[in-house]
Amino acid sequence: MHRNLLKWSLLLSAVVALCLSAASYAQLTTYQQQEWLHSPAASSHIGNITGAAPAAAMPYRRYCVGCHGPLGDGNGENAQWINPKPRDFQLAIFKCRSTPTGTLPTDQDLYDSIGRGLDRSNMPSWDALTKQERADLVAWIKHFSPRWQNEKAGTPIQIPAEPEITPDRVKTGQEVFRKMECWKCHGVQGMANGPSSSTLTDDLGRPISPFNFTDGSRPLCGSTDQDIYKIFMTGLDGTPMPSFADNIKPEEAWDLVFYLRSLQPHNAYNAKEREIANQLGLKPVNPNAPAQ
Amino acid sequence: MKHQRNRGWAAILATLVLVGLGSLSISHKASAAAEGKITGTVKLDGTAPHMKGIEMSKDPVCDKAHANNPAHSENVVVGKGGGLENVVLYISEGLSASELNAKPTQVPIFDQKGCMYTPHVLAMDVGQEFKVETSDPTAHNIHPEPNPLTGNIPWNQSQPPGAAPVVKSWKTPEMIHVKCNIHPWMSGWFAVVKGPYATTDENGSYTIQNVPPGSYTVTAWQETYGTQTQKVTVAAGAAATADFTFKAK
Amino acid sequence: MRMWAQSHLCPKPQRVSSVLAAAFALVFLLLGASQPASALPAFARKYGLRCSACHESWPALNNFGLKFRDNGYQLMNDRDSPIWQNPGYWPVTFRITPIWHRVSSLQQVDTYSTSGSASTAQRITSSGFDLSGLDFHTGGTLEKNFSFYVLPSSDSTGAFHFESVNARVDNIGGSPWLNIRLGKFELNNLLSEKRTLWLTGNGGIYQTYHFIPVNDGNTFGQMGDNQLGVEYMGHSVDDRTRVSASLLSSNDGSVGLITGANSYSGFFTFDQAFDAGKLGTERLGAYAFVGQAATYYLTNGGVPIPGSGIGNKGFSRVGFYGQFYLGSHFDINVVTQHGSDNAWFGQNYGNAIASDGNGTATCTSTAGTTGCPPNNTPGSMLAPGSRAPTWNGYTFEARYVYSPQLIFKAVFEAERMSQQANPTNASNLGNINNYSIGYRYNPFMTSRAGFAYFGEFNLFHQDGTGPNNSSGNPTNINTSELLFGIDFDF
Repeated sequence: MHRNLLKWSLLLSAVVALCLSAASYAQLTTYQQQEWLHSPAASSHIGNITGAAPAAAMPYRRYCVGCHGPLGDGNGENAQWINPKPRDFQLAIFKCRSTPTGTLPTDQDLYDSIGRGLDRSNMPSWDALTKQERADLVAWIKHFSPRWQNEKAGTPIQIPAEPEITPDRVKTGQEVFRKMECWKCHGVQGMANGPSSSTLTDDLGRPISPFNFTDGSRPLCGSTDQDIYKIFMTGLDGTPMPSFADNIKPEEAWDLVFYLRSLQPHNAYNAKEREIANQLGLKPVNPNAPAQ
Repeated sequence: MKHQRNRGWAAILATLVLVGLGSLSISHKASAAAEGKITGTVKLDGTAPHMKGIEMSKDPVCDKAHANNPAHSENVVVGKGGGLENVVLYISEGLSASELNAKPTQVPIFDQKGCMYTPHVLAMDVGQEFKVETSDPTAHNIHPEPNPLTGNIPWNQSQPPGAAPVVKSWKTPEMIHVKCNIHPWMSGWFAVVKGPYATTDENGSYTIQNVPPGSYTVTAWQETYGTQTQKVTVAAGAAATADFTFKAK
Repeated sequence: MRMWAQSHLCPKPQRVSSVLAAAFALVFLLLGASQPASALPAFARKYGLRCSACHESWPALNNFGLKFRDNGYQLMNDRDSPIWQNPGYWPVTFRITPIWHRVSSLQQVDTYSTSGSASTAQRITSSGFDLSGLDFHTGGTLEKNFSFYVLPSSDSTGAFHFESVNARVDNIGGSPWLNIRLGKFELNNLLSEKRTLWLTGNGGIYQTYHFIPVNDGNTFGQMGDNQLGVEYMGHSVDDRTRVSASLLSSNDGSVGLITGANSYSGFFTFDQAFDAGKLGTERLGAYAFVGQAATYYLTNGGVPIPGSGIGNKGFSRVGFYGQFYLGSHFDINVVTQHGSDNAWFGQNYGNAIASDGNGTATCTSTAGTTGCPPNNTPGSMLAPGSRAPTWNGYTFEARYVYSPQLIFKAVFEAERMSQQANPTNASNLGNINNYSIGYRYNPFMTSRAGFAYFGEFNLFHQDGTGPNNSSGNPTNINTSELLFGIDFDF
């Protein structure tokens, strides 16, 4: 009997030691996620629709698990052949948000990402699903990570009303582009060929390219001017793209949006900006010009 | 005989387990007036690895700053006499909960100079505010990469020339790597710990101040060589010594 | 695959303990060996989605798959062009179905007695292992907004024909409202026959899409057959509104210009989907298939000359579609039809250059002889009292989707003549009732291949078209088929 007590004490202390050392880096298990499945955090509110996580179990299995994996960690069976990689919902770090860097997105942000899809990635637009299904999937996403249990979503940034597009604003926008040194990654023409572009890596050390304004791609988080505003004023978390909220004033931010539009080829949103850039004879910024 | 020996072992083991589990909940009453310190030197045993030179031609501003004084990787910085710089020392066992949670009022500063982080490792307490500044005429972005499942959430903010300092704090102890995406060679650390701490200087010397008398485990952390621990006992008003030696690989 | 190690944490699909499960117990015994989970597999390989993302239960499409197809087999993510794929990506899928089935039908059988030979209707039952045909599917994009589909298909003997061969220009001018397809393609039926879940002889087609009154010569107005033509199709960005208009040759998809000039028909559809909250998406639509086809041919030595068809007469098939999702597990598809053929067709004119669907003319001897329909030579007149045959029909298909891997299905169809071509015909001559019930179970669900265990039972009934009984009077057809098999594609 005492021999057994010795054995069990050894075992217990070994287990305790392992737990203490491994606590912060454990892979989340379905057991933990099951507990969160019925928690208040695993629900969503988008407009007047309420989503509940348990209702999304089958849609997730039908539509999402091949890429995002059964544990929501982005390790679905197809993830190894996809670039960019599917989102890891356990870390709860999202690119497309209306909330400041380092904070959780709102339910509306996640709902919009699902419905709109992410251009140039394997994330399709799921607007063929009903609004209720998408709301339920938002709630389901929130049951994968302990962060939703412990943190509140960030407060969405305030976006002032879009002003009129004037030549002065486009010129100021170019000055912001030069001063913030966006061209370091995006290139002076926005062609994603800046001096730092070739060495960029994401948070997991994987190579990543900056957005190319000139190849006709749609911006990642939506095509409207407001969507572009949000990208640089909240940053794309998990990627090299930082938040410029502390360094660009809201008025100037609109100017930068207009200048960025002028870099894009003709699309449904930038006729005025391109016309103005043409009239002004805007040339690409000169990175070697002395700082003003 | 056999019986008694086993009972003895069980007792020792049970005590060890209890001490291990309960160390955080045992409270020490300490008097501030009698605080001592822990001091020592951290050395590297063996030949220091070669720190590669950094090529900064992608950014002419950075390049110019190092025209006469090329920069090198700072993973292992060894001074004359073998002292290891940038090692963080902190107390991992023996402090009471109130001592662990006390936040110093000073604000450590992390600067970007010549496209390198100064200091290379910034130690701080959980919840202690720190500032990130930039002294460079070229844009940086400050991008710490903690593991979000610990409770520390990554963020990524730009710092163009002349930008105001970024003021932040961290929620849980963790060794957080910091990088700049624009300048991929830039690498630094936020060493977030609980309780008093110190960082070794170019001689490998350190002093942890404001340590109440008691028995403690001191941990030394170096980014390449990992951690080592030592037990010390600090007498009231006196200095205990804990020297560490890391073996070069 | 390494990822499998993590998928084992996914909850296994639970066994179904219903009466149906007990009835198909033999197949369910195989469940024990199945992998839990955490079609064209070619599409799944290209985009990394599982089959279940586009298919309610492959091959039937769900709303997401329908949108993918309407976009020209594109996700519209600026990565649809094949240049974004590994050059080793091979957009080909094979599908074949080995089966066991048991068919029971009435046949005309000779009887022998001391007073000589006669003939009667007798039920013949045969069973055994068999094959379906083999389909080679290849489809996808040639470039962004240029899509194609080619489907060489063989019957169970290995004789090939082209089921689909078409190319489509998608999103012309950047608008989803402008897509043009040319070639041989499936009509834009909301309840798709080519993606049917059914595989029995009479249950594997939708009777509503193929109904031809007794002795009617119009084999061209079959909505369920792939047709040759050009199709305009438009849809809203979220695919909630869909519209199409096709100009088709009235030859039921037969190649070689076997009919004639002016033998064209049009096929028009419109449908609108509504978001019904927790119930799902409900879709309502309407279609019209209106056209003209030849009723007689010029002859050479009495043999009809292919391509010389003249005397075009009209026909129409119009009706409604409905697709109703009632919660996440249950949905119903409804198709209604009012059909009408010209009286000439009703008298068997028109089919002179009948085709077996593979472009081979089946009538090569003199028109009007045994096996060949009459030819409308100058001076022909319709028999007095001839009327245009008209009918009404509907198809009602219900599906219970227990999980993305297991589906139970049932279909009921009825076709009712409302006006017979000949006033002397019994009013119910040719009426059809068609019932099927079945299940499909996919033991695994990945994006590499599809595999389904399935079982079906079909009962087909048609009035007055059976073999003659011993008194010489036609009987009713009552054919039943029990079918089990494996349906797979990769």
